[in-house]
Amino acid sequence: MPEFKIQHITRYTYEGMVRDSANQVILFPIVDVHQDVLKHTLTITGNPVVDTYVDYYGNEVGSFTYLEKHSRLVINSEVLVVTKPRELPADAMPASEQWQKLQALQYIVPYIDFLKHEYFEALPELQTVIEQQKQDNETPYQTALRLCEYVYRNFKYLPGVTTVETTLTEVWNLKAGVCQDFAHILILMLRLLNIPARYVSGYICPNRNGMRGEGATHAWAEVYLPDYGWLGIDPTNNCVANETHVRLAVGRNFSDCSPVKGVYKGSSGHMLEVKVSVEYQDQPSNSNESTSILPGNSFVQAAESEVFTTNSYRRYREALLLQQQQQQQQ
Amino acid sequence: MYQSAHFSEYNAISGVWDEMYNENHNIREHYQRVISYLSKESADNLNKKEELARRLFMTQGITFTVYNSGEGIEKIFPFDIIPRIITGNEWKLVEKGIKQRLTALNLFLRDVYHDQFIIKDGIIPIDVIYSCPHFLREMYQLDVPHDIYVHIAGIDLIRDEKGDFYVLEDNLRTPSGVSYMLENREITKRLFPDLLPQCNVRSVTDYPNILYKNLMALSPRQISNPTVVLLSPGIYNSAYFEHTTLARLMGVELVEGRDLVVSNHKVYMKTTTGLQQVDVIYRRVDDEFLDPLVFNPASVLGVAGIMSAYRKGNVAIVNAIGNGVADDKAIYSYVPEMIRYYLNEEPLLKNVPTYQLRNADEREYTFANINTMVVKKTNESGGYGMLMGHAANEQEIADYKKEILKDPRNFIAQPTISLSAAPCYLQGSLQPRRIDLRPYALCGPDGIEIVPGGLTRVALKEGSLVVNSSQGGGSKDTWVLD
Repeated sequence: MPEFKIQHITRYTYEGMVRDSANQVILFPIVDVHQDVLKHTLTITGNPVVDTYVDYYGNEVGSFTYLEKHSRLVINSEVLVVTKPRELPADAMPASEQWQKLQALQYIVPYIDFLKHEYFEALPELQTVIEQQKQDNETPYQTALRLCEYVYRNFKYLPGVTTVETTLTEVWNLKAGVCQDFAHILILMLRLLNIPARYVSGYICPNRNGMRGEGATHAWAEVYLPDYGWLGIDPTNNCVANETHVRLAVGRNFSDCSPVKGVYKGSSGHMLEVKVSVEYQDQPSNSNESTSILPGNSFVQAAESEVFTTNSYRRYREALLLQQQQQQQQ
Repeated sequence: MYQSAHFSEYNAISGVWDEMYNENHNIREHYQRVISYLSKESADNLNKKEELARRLFMTQGITFTVYNSGEGIEKIFPFDIIPRIITGNEWKLVEKGIKQRLTALNLFLRDVYHDQFIIKDGIIPIDVIYSCPHFLREMYQLDVPHDIYVHIAGIDLIRDEKGDFYVLEDNLRTPSGVSYMLENREITKRLFPDLLPQCNVRSVTDYPNILYKNLMALSPRQISNPTVVLLSPGIYNSAYFEHTTLARLMGVELVEGRDLVVSNHKVYMKTTTGLQQVDVIYRRVDDEFLDPLVFNPASVLGVAGIMSAYRKGNVAIVNAIGNGVADDKAIYSYVPEMIRYYLNEEPLLKNVPTYQLRNADEREYTFANINTMVVKKTNESGGYGMLMGHAANEQEIADYKKEILKDPRNFIAQPTISLSAAPCYLQGSLQPRRIDLRPYALCGPDGIEIVPGGLTRVALKEGSLVVNSSQGGGSKDTWVLD
């Protein structure tokens, strides 16, 4: 049973002083038969009270506000997690029966949410690919692994080319992205085949170096298999997500699981640094650490994107005018 | 009975229920007193009263805003001086029917965000609910005070050619227009001071008091003077006049999102003497914009973190968040079933037959009969995004069909109902115009209360069936007799 000590630091540094910061964190590892949390400490600038609740998808979600003026905000989450390897699906049931069972889930909670696909421009193109990939008499499990490999082989792992706002269509056209894009594409393909698929955010903790997604939060997909349940598959590393993957949250997509998000009032420019480091129980001194600077993974109330930075006052006024008009008065 | 020239010219529209005339072209009993009173007035006098009404609206700034091609135009809500009269018996049915409907809708909202019995029992197809953009998973398992979701409802009623009442739509998010109900009555008092008591017209002025009482009762803090605020999007909103009016009549603060802040999961109002905790928020801001942290991150109208304060029960929000799943027009057709399911009663008010365009056969039927249909978007209000089949040309119909096929879930169709007509004073004579009725129901811990009256909207254009103010409609004072 591997034990991991994970430190996840999120650091916002603002150009000037900001205030009225409100944040939501989904940094509490899931506790179930495959994963247990031995210890968790969450330290935040200003020591605000973090309130948590369990959301619709079963994730523990925390939120806090920090009103005083500040120029940086650090969220430091340290967890001690133990994971247990799970057995892979026996996949003994005849394929046709499995597909039938999946068909029956279409109008059942919670699967209905994990079968609905978002609007996607390149849908016909994608459908052709799926047709080509899918083999006759294949079980959903086999199909899932095949598609996982397809994404792994056909998309380039290229940090920095996409942001949280990049659309699926853009990722499809780029044929490149990071773990979250890989996961979204795979999820879409699975859902089109009526295999319930959900997004997972978490950490990857390989006992060897060379896995993609280290040093930052990771993301992969989970598929629902008849007579088995949810199985994690990681298209970024083309593997089943097992005891080396620590799960934080599940949802329909990234925005249901985003580990840290926030809004604040004040100057527009900010830098976000995310650092995830993992210490292994069997090699405590050899900590695996790296830093990545991500493009704005947060939403700024006053002004943000480059297009608008020239006049944030005017931009704010315009948003105000438009939004005030938009409010439905039935 | 003596009738002056301007009253004898009235020609009821054939095949349409006329509120004033019965089928034998006799004035219905409940209109007689008013008509005989008005008949004694000279045309000159009535014109003067009409002019006075217009000036009163103007000087008091009783306006609304129409948006067209991105520009807002502030307008006076046209007012017709002839009241719309409802008998005590008619009102009893309306009142009972709305109470029944609202009770069921509240139970539905509680159910859909908790146990979902109605889905499990197959009464409402799950995909209709789960595909509704206003079904907010953030509301799942969130308990609201007294299990009340709809504190304020505006249920739109129409009458068919037999005079039967139908519910046209339920407005359960941010129903508007109640200030016009109140202002119209004030204007009538000025125009015809002695007529109201003579006719035993029931009063509507209690509305702000009942609303205030209900809002106070929702306060999470057990204190004698909880802070109640009205959260408005701001001055550019079409109903800003109403927001100021209601805040003034209730004596509560009128605030915008930037006046509020969340600290330690409690909502505070920024005042000149520091932060003051807010207990109850009557908001006129859409769900999507209420909390930029949880919903639309670009919102500049909301309060970041308010959802967590709401979830913890530290603030009451009126109407509840997530009500849109109950007034979605695709859900509307299931309301009679809801009433049977939750209350074991037969619905007192009828539903207009509704075709779900997400179902292929109902869509084909609609396309084949589009000239007799009204097609609506399931999540729009105010008469926007609607197709009136009988009035549209080939091109408009073809374009609209294309829109429908893009996302059929978002459309429903209904047969065109011939709305009832009421007399209006137009260009010196009485003319029939089509009307609807929106009573305002208030739901509090003590139950549902509906002030006797409401907003009667009138399609002022001859032959028009669209009463929405945004589409050139006007309004009338609405009398319920004792």
